[in-house]
Amino acid sequence: MAVLCAVDVEKRFGSCVAVSGASLRVEPGRIHAVVGENGAGKSTLLRVMAGQLAPDHGHVEIDGKRLAPHTAAEAIARGVGMVAQHFQLIDALTVLENAILGVEPIGAFGVVDVAAAEAKLEGVLKDLGVRLDVRALVRELGVGDRQRLEIARVLYRDAQVVILDEPTAVLTPREATQLYETLHRLADGGRAVVVVTHKLDEVATHARAVTVLRRGRVIASREIGDVPRDEELRRLTQDVMGDAEPAPTRRARPARGEPLLELRDVERKPQLRAISLSVHAGEILGVAGVEGSGQGELVRVLAGLLVPASGRVVAKAAISVLHGDRHAEGLVLDASLQDNLLLGELAHYVRGGLLRASRMEAEASARLARSGAVPRELDLPAQALSGGNQQKLVVERAMSRAAKILVLAHPTRGVDVGAARAIHAKILEAASQGVAILVFGADLDELRALCDRIVVLARGTIVGEVPADADNERIGALMLTEAAS
Amino acid sequence: MSRRRLWTAQLEADALAIVVGLAAAHLAFCVLVWLYGESPWAMSRELFVGTWGTPYGAGQVLFKATPLFFTGLAVHVALRAGLFNVGVEGQLAVASLAVGALGAHLPLHVHAVVAWPLLFAVAMGSGALWSLLPAVLRSRFGTHEVITTILMNRLAGVAVNVALGVGLAEAGSVRTPDVVLGAHLPRLSTLFPPLRGSAVSFAAPIAVATVIVVVVLLPRTRYGREAVLVAANPVACAAERIPVGRRLLESLVISGALAGLASLGTVLGYKGYYEQGLGAGAGVTGIAVAMLGRGRIVGMLVAALLFGMLAQGGLVLNAHVPMEVMEVLQAVVVLAVALGDGAVRRQVMEALRSVAVRAEARV
Repeated sequence: MAVLCAVDVEKRFGSCVAVSGASLRVEPGRIHAVVGENGAGKSTLLRVMAGQLAPDHGHVEIDGKRLAPHTAAEAIARGVGMVAQHFQLIDALTVLENAILGVEPIGAFGVVDVAAAEAKLEGVLKDLGVRLDVRALVRELGVGDRQRLEIARVLYRDAQVVILDEPTAVLTPREATQLYETLHRLADGGRAVVVVTHKLDEVATHARAVTVLRRGRVIASREIGDVPRDEELRRLTQDVMGDAEPAPTRRARPARGEPLLELRDVERKPQLRAISLSVHAGEILGVAGVEGSGQGELVRVLAGLLVPASGRVVAKAAISVLHGDRHAEGLVLDASLQDNLLLGELAHYVRGGLLRASRMEAEASARLARSGAVPRELDLPAQALSGGNQQKLVVERAMSRAAKILVLAHPTRGVDVGAARAIHAKILEAASQGVAILVFGADLDELRALCDRIVVLARGTIVGEVPADADNERIGALMLTEAAS
Repeated sequence: MSRRRLWTAQLEADALAIVVGLAAAHLAFCVLVWLYGESPWAMSRELFVGTWGTPYGAGQVLFKATPLFFTGLAVHVALRAGLFNVGVEGQLAVASLAVGALGAHLPLHVHAVVAWPLLFAVAMGSGALWSLLPAVLRSRFGTHEVITTILMNRLAGVAVNVALGVGLAEAGSVRTPDVVLGAHLPRLSTLFPPLRGSAVSFAAPIAVATVIVVVVLLPRTRYGREAVLVAANPVACAAERIPVGRRLLESLVISGALAGLASLGTVLGYKGYYEQGLGAGAGVTGIAVAMLGRGRIVGMLVAALLFGMLAQGGLVLNAHVPMEVMEVLQAVVVLAVALGDGAVRRQVMEALRSVAVRAEARV
């Protein structure tokens, strides 16, 4: 019995067809992965299936019966819940309050029956195999726990189908593994789990079925596990990327130049303690660390937004920074692609007090073309682009500034395999031209593919340095170090 | 969507907003007039004839609209940067006093070529000065500009009273002495005789030109472009080293300067002196003009003319219905256009939703 079906769904946004003629059948008891390039229509299709978007054509069926009216509330009432790409929790409320928001059990005199709610949520958490203090404030939770809470929230509403949009994009490898343990548990318990992801190795390892989307169409939908894992990965990559040749990411090691950026005993307690490092021209230094390790603060220090309490930052050239959170710090979502591509650089285009419009447009369109983001319309608001395309935009902006020092936080966050390769190639190209590069991230495979050296940041300080060919186990263990204080 | 299609879509939305606003206002007008026992048809006719129907009437509409062009523009400039300048009222009062007082004390035979630029600069400078404190507080400490500009309005009232009391006023009155002849902005009727009798002065074309120049230039300057970005996402702007605080400060100060310019229409173009209360209300109506005009040249001009027409219409119909009817109509226009505008409608819905969420959360 199919629990959730999309039948011949089409969804347009203005003149842009996001999904067309897509059918998808999700069955209980297994993890179903949905993969595809940025902007392929994955999120759109699943939001239609979760009732959040009404299709222009086609319909959605739950247990063989059509979803009508086509609303999120109706979908939830019939057991379909979705965890969005960006968390939708209220920081100032507790875990319990977030979980029951909008579906509070009402007892006598219209008062919320907290005990009943708590008992039910505890049950859900137990089923999930998750330990979480229901009275803790969401503000105090880490990313992994927030994600678990989002899932618990869906299950609290008795969801039989759980849809997750890029759940591992912001997780460390260990957290991702734990998440899949949870998801397997859900599937084994008879629920259907749908995961949108770019990480094909996750698909090959964890999913039992996969659907591949390209340009809004379903181009493959099949079971996983008939062929060996390596063969499966190769086929998935081929499906997602079409016939594009995979680019080699490894580079010939260039000569290491003079040190361009040096940090000496940089302190800003409690987030940063005694940070010393140096990056040379032509070198790529990786900084591995989980959320809360001080990565964000260190990036802000390098960007000049945070002044260290003590210690010195010596930069021998201009620094260009790619910030980690593209929505909060990277983009002005309501502004046009052109304004975003030139954000903070208008001083270069002023002549006689006025901006030189044609020059700005020429530079912006050159950057847009290089970024590979679609659609290529400078007047569109940044909001209109999918997450991956937005990421391509902010990466291109950071790399277009002819700075000899590049600080890149999570450069491929949320982009597809092909785009990630293109971004990697750009980073390697910049290094070969003598740019000193710092890459911040938690994706060890990415860091190892790019970097010459990797330092590990934990609890606000550098706990070790490893060569790029160190194994994941060793780096991972360092990342979770409880630094001696 | 191509640039051309965006542009026409925008134009259609603007036209629609204007038509909806006018239709709603007219409907409300008919109902109110009928409630007062007058014939809606006859009153509509009289209203139109008394405003646009004769050169004199049209001149009076333009005269009433003159300060509104400036104050609407002032509110708009702040609004672009996400700031709500409620202080236009006080900035205009202080600037009017400064222009009136200085204009009266210029050398008697000073030439207009000297007097005008000087007094225009004084108008802008004093308006800007009155917005400086809220601007500094906002950009340095994040103090909400609505609170501070309202306080500055009250303070302006007191300051103007005191200044008039301690010697700026003519003895025994609450008005400044007449400005010197060279400081007067001549009536437009000196150029277009049919306008004879109406109070419209050369301040009107100056106001229209200012609206056009400022609205055209803003997105073509670094300041103007960055101000909008700062309003939309200050965190991202700060991350890319855009001076967020400075853009906010500049926006409020420029807004204050434009507010001060409205004294051209009242002090220099009309009375020839400043008296207590001259120009009062133009600041508040400017908010409505900015809301209706939504930053487009045609929108701003039409909105100011519409409110000018309502003000003049109130005088025309005063024999039949109280002038307050026209004030009600101002509110009707603002509400109708606001509800017809998708962006505003969305904001209202979001505000309601957040209230609902908060209420839920409190349970």
